[in-house]
Amino acid sequence: MPLRNMPLQKKLMTIMLLTSGTVLLLTCAGFCAYEILTFRHTTAQQLSTVARIVATNSTAVLAFDDQRGAGEILSALKAEPNIVAAGLYGANGELFAFYPESLPRGKFPAAPGEEGFRFEKSYLSGFQTVAQGSRRLGTLYVRSDLRAIAERVRLYFTVAGLVAGVAFLTAFFLSKTLQRQISDPILSLAGTAHAISERRDYSVRARKEGGAEVGHLTDAFNHMLNHIQDQLTRMELLNRITSAIGERQDLPSIFQVMVRTLEDSFSVDFGCVCLYETLPERLLVMSVGVKSGTIALEKGMALPIDQNGLSRCIKGHLVYEPDISRVDFPFPRRLAAGGLGSLVLSPLLVEGKVFGVLIVGRKQAEGFSSLDCEFVRQLSDHSALAANQANLHTALQQAYDDLQQSQQTILQQERLRALGQMASGIAHDINNAISPVSLYTESLLDNEPDLSPRARNYLQTISNAIEDVAATVSRMREFYRQHEAQMMLAPVDLNRALQQVIDLTRARWHDIPQQRGIVIRILLELSSAPALVAGVEGEIREAFTNLFLNAFDAMPEGGTLTLRTRIRPGGRVQAEVIDTGIGMDEETRRRCLEPFYTTKGERGTGLGLAMVYGVAQRHNADVELESAPGSGTTMRLVFPAPAFAQGEDRPVLRIAPPTPLRLLVVDDDPLLLKSLNDILTGEGHDVTVANGGQPGIDAFTAAFAAGKPFDAVISDLGMPYVDGRKVATAIKSVSPSTPVILLTGWGQRLLSEGDIPPNVDLLLSKPPKIGQLREALAKHFPPKAGKGP
Amino acid sequence: MNRLLCMLAASVLALGGPAGAAPAKEYQVKAAFLFNFAQFVEWPKTAFSRPEDPFVIGVLGPDPFGSYLEDVAHGEKVGGRKIVVKRYGKAADAFGSQILWVAGKDMATMMQDLAVLRNKPVLTVGDADGFAVEGGVIRLVMKQNKIRFRINVEAAQASGLSISAKLLSLADIVAPGKG
Repeated sequence: MPLRNMPLQKKLMTIMLLTSGTVLLLTCAGFCAYEILTFRHTTAQQLSTVARIVATNSTAVLAFDDQRGAGEILSALKAEPNIVAAGLYGANGELFAFYPESLPRGKFPAAPGEEGFRFEKSYLSGFQTVAQGSRRLGTLYVRSDLRAIAERVRLYFTVAGLVAGVAFLTAFFLSKTLQRQISDPILSLAGTAHAISERRDYSVRARKEGGAEVGHLTDAFNHMLNHIQDQLTRMELLNRITSAIGERQDLPSIFQVMVRTLEDSFSVDFGCVCLYETLPERLLVMSVGVKSGTIALEKGMALPIDQNGLSRCIKGHLVYEPDISRVDFPFPRRLAAGGLGSLVLSPLLVEGKVFGVLIVGRKQAEGFSSLDCEFVRQLSDHSALAANQANLHTALQQAYDDLQQSQQTILQQERLRALGQMASGIAHDINNAISPVSLYTESLLDNEPDLSPRARNYLQTISNAIEDVAATVSRMREFYRQHEAQMMLAPVDLNRALQQVIDLTRARWHDIPQQRGIVIRILLELSSAPALVAGVEGEIREAFTNLFLNAFDAMPEGGTLTLRTRIRPGGRVQAEVIDTGIGMDEETRRRCLEPFYTTKGERGTGLGLAMVYGVAQRHNADVELESAPGSGTTMRLVFPAPAFAQGEDRPVLRIAPPTPLRLLVVDDDPLLLKSLNDILTGEGHDVTVANGGQPGIDAFTAAFAAGKPFDAVISDLGMPYVDGRKVATAIKSVSPSTPVILLTGWGQRLLSEGDIPPNVDLLLSKPPKIGQLREALAKHFPPKAGKGP
Repeated sequence: MNRLLCMLAASVLALGGPAGAAPAKEYQVKAAFLFNFAQFVEWPKTAFSRPEDPFVIGVLGPDPFGSYLEDVAHGEKVGGRKIVVKRYGKAADAFGSQILWVAGKDMATMMQDLAVLRNKPVLTVGDADGFAVEGGVIRLVMKQNKIRFRINVEAAQASGLSISAKLLSLADIVAPGKG
């Protein structure tokens, strides 16, 4: 196995054993080499010493030629087993004595050689001069066997091998024990790392074993784990906040969640979100943490942007103020006064534009690490995105709602237009139908002074009812008509109008509830003086009727309806309709004046209060509304002060009966024709009637040709075949100076559209009123005294 | 020197030769022995009166050496002193010699001479029977055709001579009053 792939322990062992083994081998080799070298030297030295001793001892035997003695001296060399041969040469160079005696002479050098010792193959041999004093007496030859050296060397190698073996074993056991010092901490570290990666539990910490590098490594590792755990915690927090934010779709709750979570889980002492406004440039505090509010800021506060971190943050930079007590700007100083030490300002960016700022602070200075800052930045990014999405969502929802509303409105308007057209037709017929009633009633009231008071009262009620019918019919058109251009404002007594509406709606508040055992009390608190306003009485009655009906609807279990009028100081006149019903919640209060908004389900059209509002607007009156769920509703109409003085009598137009005239009345409705004939004849005029357009033209032409022309022509507008326009044209072509007055069931509409047909001098709406007719005729034929009948 | 060694070697060879060689040859070896003794014996300081005194090898009585002594000593030095060979008639004259050959003409004369030389720093050498017993220091004897020697250690000590152990190891030690 290559060393680098080995497990740590094995690797360490291998390295240590390799090292110690190599050192041992080298030491042994050195030791052996040294021993061999020194041993050769020592051997040579020893041999030389022995040779010198022997030589010294041999002087006498040589000097006195004692061969026996020489033999004895040499045989003493037995004590040195290495010395295998020795010989003494006399001064003449002859071999004098030798050792061992068993050795043949031929084994010795024939003659002594040079002094000194030499190594030969397996021997060390040499010559030593024998001298007494300065006298040379002979030469000694000695030969030593090197087998002894070889033996020594072998011994050395054996010993060295044994020592090396023992040393190696010792090194093995030592390294096995000692390598733990290194490997154990590393393995423990590796084990921890493995456990962490397996279990993903970053709260585990490595146990520190010893100091130095491994200790530092453990510290660094643990430090890294701290970082990872911190980061994980932050990520988790970020995740939590992001998903919490994701569940919310409005800015305030997104920011509130963000700030709250930061306070709870990120241990900030201050957290707030401000929205950036450009005109004027300032920050509006949108959301403040629970703990934070007491520190420095409150929701809704506006912060000016000074030249500090805020302005840098507005430019899109994350700003960290590690010690705000040293920053001399109003905003940081304010926060510092609240006890904060450090501050992070993070911009909320959408598509590169700052729309807000997240501000977090801690009480201690240097309270945020770079990781903290990074976290805040990421959180800002996420929440900015969420906020943007919430905005988009809201806008989308708004657009959707608007679209739905528009669709609803268009649908309603379409329905209304159809209804309006139908209503127009009906109105025309009704106007035609009630015209005789109106004319006769008016005529009776006007011209019959002998009527009993009772009859007069009844007739007056009939007259009012007819007037209201006419008004109602004309109101019907308002559903699809925006605007009544010409409004005849007249003094209207609100007190009288209220009284009349009470009478008219009696069935709704008295008869119907009573059948179910429910009692609705009517309480009148009217001003003592007539509450006069300038207005259209019919419209005002209509408005009151709607208010009454709503009030009754709000009191299904019965209650009290209070009607109150008052002339405010300054002349404004107010009328209040107060019920003790169920009241309105805020949503209803806010929307009740919108057209088509109803709380009555299919029962309601949603037009009642809208109409009241329309009436109020046309009269420059304000609608005031006080209501709360369960505590009834007060509707208040406040009219402007009238141009005329309060309490002034209603100006009554009394027109004297006009000069008797020859009149041609053209209509396709015999009943109307008859009633007009009766009324106008009653006025003293000479009336000729023509049933239809063409007969009318014929009658006029005939009379004109006969030299007895009509003074004026009164014609219906809408007639089959030849309508009022054609009649007017024909008459004008014959006699341009003869006035033509058109009566119309569509009258108000034509008037408001300015659609007075050519050749028509005056357009009057049905039902015609006697007064109006008188006025119209008087306009063309001013009463002249003395003009003949 | 080499010449001397050659001579000695030659004499040794000669001695190992056939019996009945010329007596003169025997004395040639003995002359070499006399000279060689100078190498293995130390004399007391009193042996020389002056530093420049030569080393004297003397012959008392009849001279058996002929010119051998002169041949051996020629050009040689002992302890830095030149060797001089002298011949004496009377023992009393021979006090200044360091090695003295005492010829054994007869027992009585020899004993007389030795008595005179007793206690004097002179190494007396002779080959007469009983020479060492009678007070001579070294007696040369023929043994198996070889010249060996006997040493009277007491006499040597009395004369203040110190004889090398190496020399002693080759010699027979003679106790006084015996053979």
